[in-house]
Amino acid sequence: MDVRTRRLLFLAAPGLAFLFVFLFLPLVSVVVYSFWRTASYEMIAEWNVDNYVTLLTEGTYLTFLWRSLVMATVVTAVSVVYAWPVAYLIAKHGGRYKLILVLLTAAPFLTGEILRITALQQILGPIGVINMGLTSFGIAPVEALMYSSTATGIGLSYLWMPFMVLAVYLSLLNFDFELMEVAKVNGARPLRAFIEIAWPLNRAGTAIGCVLVFIPTLGSSVTSQFLGGPNGALYGNILAHQFGATGTWALGSAMGVVLFGLSALLIALVVRVVGDFRRSGLTMSGR
Amino acid sequence: MRQRYTRRDIMQGFAATAALATAVKRPFIGKAEAQTLELRWLGWEHYNVRPIVEGFEEEYGVRVSGGFFDGNSEAYNTLRAGGTDDFDLVMADGFWPRLYARQGLTQPCDYSKIPNMEHVFPDFLPPNYMLLTQEDGDATIAAPNCWGGYGFTVNLGHVDEADAHSVGLLFNDKYGGHLSTSARFEENIALAGILAAHEMGTIEAERPDGKSFNPYVLTEAELGRARELLIHQKGLLLTRWNDEDTLERLLRAEAVWASPEWSGIYRRIHFDVLDGTSDLNMIHVLRPDEGGLGWVDTWAITAGVTDSEKLELAHKWIDWRLSPDNMAIVATDVGWSPTVDVRAMIPDRYVETLFLNNTSAINGLYQFDAPSDPEAWERVWSEVEAA
Repeated sequence: MDVRTRRLLFLAAPGLAFLFVFLFLPLVSVVVYSFWRTASYEMIAEWNVDNYVTLLTEGTYLTFLWRSLVMATVVTAVSVVYAWPVAYLIAKHGGRYKLILVLLTAAPFLTGEILRITALQQILGPIGVINMGLTSFGIAPVEALMYSSTATGIGLSYLWMPFMVLAVYLSLLNFDFELMEVAKVNGARPLRAFIEIAWPLNRAGTAIGCVLVFIPTLGSSVTSQFLGGPNGALYGNILAHQFGATGTWALGSAMGVVLFGLSALLIALVVRVVGDFRRSGLTMSGR
Repeated sequence: MRQRYTRRDIMQGFAATAALATAVKRPFIGKAEAQTLELRWLGWEHYNVRPIVEGFEEEYGVRVSGGFFDGNSEAYNTLRAGGTDDFDLVMADGFWPRLYARQGLTQPCDYSKIPNMEHVFPDFLPPNYMLLTQEDGDATIAAPNCWGGYGFTVNLGHVDEADAHSVGLLFNDKYGGHLSTSARFEENIALAGILAAHEMGTIEAERPDGKSFNPYVLTEAELGRARELLIHQKGLLLTRWNDEDTLERLLRAEAVWASPEWSGIYRRIHFDVLDGTSDLNMIHVLRPDEGGLGWVDTWAITAGVTDSEKLELAHKWIDWRLSPDNMAIVATDVGWSPTVDVRAMIPDRYVETLFLNNTSAINGLYQFDAPSDPEAWERVWSEVEAA
């Protein structure tokens, strides 16, 4: 082993050790538990695949998975639509305030998640600002905002939007906006210039943003717990329930493995579709 | 001339100072720490009342530290995962102390070392209340602390009084969109189970286990009916509350007309009515007609306490907590109903709303328990949530 390799290993060792202890080992234990079973709050080390059979064949759990997949897709789509103009505006017209403006989009992160969701309850709930305002004018409250999947969707979009803005912004930092002008000079309308130039050249940043929004939404539980109402339970809620309330850890572990597998699959899919990130415009180094 | 320091000089200075401080202070600090006994308890955070804890530390020259949980099952999992070595005392309510004792997680509690037990209402002591003793013996396994129900707070401005006293209220189409329940799955299923067993006529019938009806030990048929009721109920609920603040806001704004709760919200609203700052017509139904849920929370000493000095201290802690002075603080400042008679020490409005003139009500309430079959209950709850 040459000096350079040894130095590299020496530098990487703390990080690798950290990942091994706090990521790899817990993951292995979750995988092992998922093949055991629980009985009256006790883990029983009897190897079986019953938990996976239950998850993949029973409509109940597939319903939660389906709900979460739909929610994650909608939230990601909303985030893309919202984040693109914001990131574009900041990257093109932000001047020397670019960084500050981007950081401002993450201002809600200065508070805790529960606090942010509680604030949303004050806006969306039956006695929130919107519905109280409507009822004070004699207009019926918007039921879709009151403890519903719509409320959860709004909450999750608000929660993860900054990640999408940041990813698209970082991509746009390396984008030559003059290409848009060239397209327009050659007769392209703004929308066509966007579709044919800005979007494809920044697809990697958008894809990373999608991953950063989709995956946490897929496993989220707190937002739907507080905003979702009686019909709003997502996969993450039932997963958390296995560990906290019902003590059915083995089934919960299998749910975690399925979630992890889905997330890994998504990342693989993105890499495959987007291809070489550097060639698709993302260097994150700025100009 | 100004002296210039390099970064290395500064780091060396820090290192030398730290080493010196450690070397000089260690013998004194280490010895003092070694002599201070520490009592560690695991319980609900609202019982971590600073004046009570500090008073005990001062009285006995010890240190007290608390660990907190949200529900019995969480504490149970903590103890099973080696928590008996980490905690000297654990709080538990309903049937849970018996489960702990049965599994060897706690040890007997010697009432002769707790003089303040004499102030406990007889309703919370054997033979009136038997869950403080082992199932198959007389040994006392825990000491009572506070008690309460999981009754319904009902707004009579919107709900007919004739409907207010039945568990059926929570499943009544007339009040659709204005009902709420907590997110606690065990109590939701148990309440539905009471109604199911009442409808099916099995509540008074002979049970498969030979014992009297317990809503946490439901037959397959009862559990199936409870599931149907809960699925129907979903369409009637505005939300399942996760925190009392949310429910209180919804009740005060009259968005929710009825919900099970611990009675604390009712008490606060009732005090506002007495003070003339609210005109809500609320009642709290401690025991619905078909039967209700209740609890007596307790202190138990964990099996990890093996030395006599710590065991003595654990008993002293229970005794300290049960002193009428400290229980009066719990009643008025924390808002839970003590098992100790403090009626002469607190205002009448507290006596009334903490049900201290009606302590015998505890004998008519089904006590909180662990589901007899957690896997089956999990499946039922998941089906309800997915429906």
